Amino acid sequence: MKLAFTLNGRPCATETPEHWTVLDLLRDGLGLMGTKYGCGEGVCGTCTVLADGRPIRACLVLAAHVRDRALMTVEGLETDGRLDPLQIAFAERGAAQCGYCTPGIMLAAKALLGENPAPTEHQVRETLSGNLCRCTGYTKIVEAVLAVAGSR
Amino acid sequence: MRLHPFRLLEPESLKDAIDALGRLDGEARLVAGGTALVAMIRLGLVKPDRLVSLHRVPALSRIAVEDGSLVLGAMATHADIERARVVRDGWPLLADAVRRVATPAIRTSGTIGGNLAYAEAASDPAPALLCLDAEVRVAGPGGQRAVPIARFFRGFYEAALEPGEIVTAVRVPPAPAGARGGYVKYTSRSAEDKPLVGVAALVALDASARCVEARIGLGGAAPTPMRAAQAERALRGEALSDAAVRAAAEAAAREADPLSDLMGSADYRREMVRVWVRRLLVALRDGTN
Repeated sequence: MKLAFTLNGRPCATETPEHWTVLDLLRDGLGLMGTKYGCGEGVCGTCTVLADGRPIRACLVLAAHVRDRALMTVEGLETDGRLDPLQIAFAERGAAQCGYCTPGIMLAAKALLGENPAPTEHQVRETLSGNLCRCTGYTKIVEAVLAVAGSR
Repeated sequence: MRLHPFRLLEPESLKDAIDALGRLDGEARLVAGGTALVAMIRLGLVKPDRLVSLHRVPALSRIAVEDGSLVLGAMATHADIERARVVRDGWPLLADAVRRVATPAIRTSGTIGGNLAYAEAASDPAPALLCLDAEVRVAGPGGQRAVPIARFFRGFYEAALEPGEIVTAVRVPPAPAGARGGYVKYTSRSAEDKPLVGVAALVALDASARCVEARIGLGGAAPTPMRAAQAERALRGEALSDAAVRAAAEAAAREADPLSDLMGSADYRREMVRVWVRRLLVALRDGTN
């Protein structure tokens, strides 16, 4: 199946098996390993990427369904060699422990801040409730997101 | 881990979708957002030979007002519905319920038609749509028909859809004039969970503060989403006194027919129906919801 879409700001034309999900395509078709496989059922949130600015679960969305849409993965957060403010805040505050949940959490937070530049702590926690961190590091994660919101 | 392989058909008209679904070779499944179906394929609960995607069928994701009623195309996503000005202004009860579905990422992909066709008891939108007397529009090999939502949920994960039928839209009439509505979702684990119990209610009071209209929809309280008819009867003609509210909550708990699962036992669910029906009615009375 032929497929064209925008990936991290660049046009991407590729071919994919019909039963592949967006996650299969990113990791195994395109070699972008930043997006992680967690539960495979849409529950853990680590495969979260953005489609047209909104978060999706890459493990649940069929590759065919992002045709003509604009995808952003963790590899696309950096622009012209500069880290995204979220990446800087996560690094500075130690908001990543093992790091497996981090790409999904940063993209979920990116979508939240895109729509609501000044969220409350409650809104941050509610938005990230579907992103599980098994190092149980939520405090620093929430602080990092709020720090970016506060610095704008 | 890969999904069990299937062919993906992407028809560009409703007729082609119905034809693709109705062919008799192997098992076909309709896919909208995929948030339920892809997880079921991953878990091995279903092994379809082919998926029929509705993404390329035109006009299925519209959100519009027609003759005073809200019409949601089956492919309208929860994310689009919760943000639509027309829904927030005219059908705030529905907007409240839809924005409680799972997580932002699930709401981006999940559709209203998929939510209803999945016929899960613990649906967030269904109790609100039951209160609003919505109508589910369906197309299939035999033509088109409309099913009142009160008759759409036939059993545990079973919608009133015949083989080859597709949900095309949901029509939502306006709430009764002056009615106030609300949705409360009680989860026993975390915010993005399915409701252990979800309660939607619409009440309209007359000049002497007596209830002229009372509609209560429950999710997670029975094998299907349901209206709490006995609780509604207990409220009609009554002022929303503490005693009347308590009587309605008791009635709702009695007519609930909950199941036990990992989120909670049947007894606990029944008790939570009683608690949350009471709290929602009090909040609607006092204007604090």
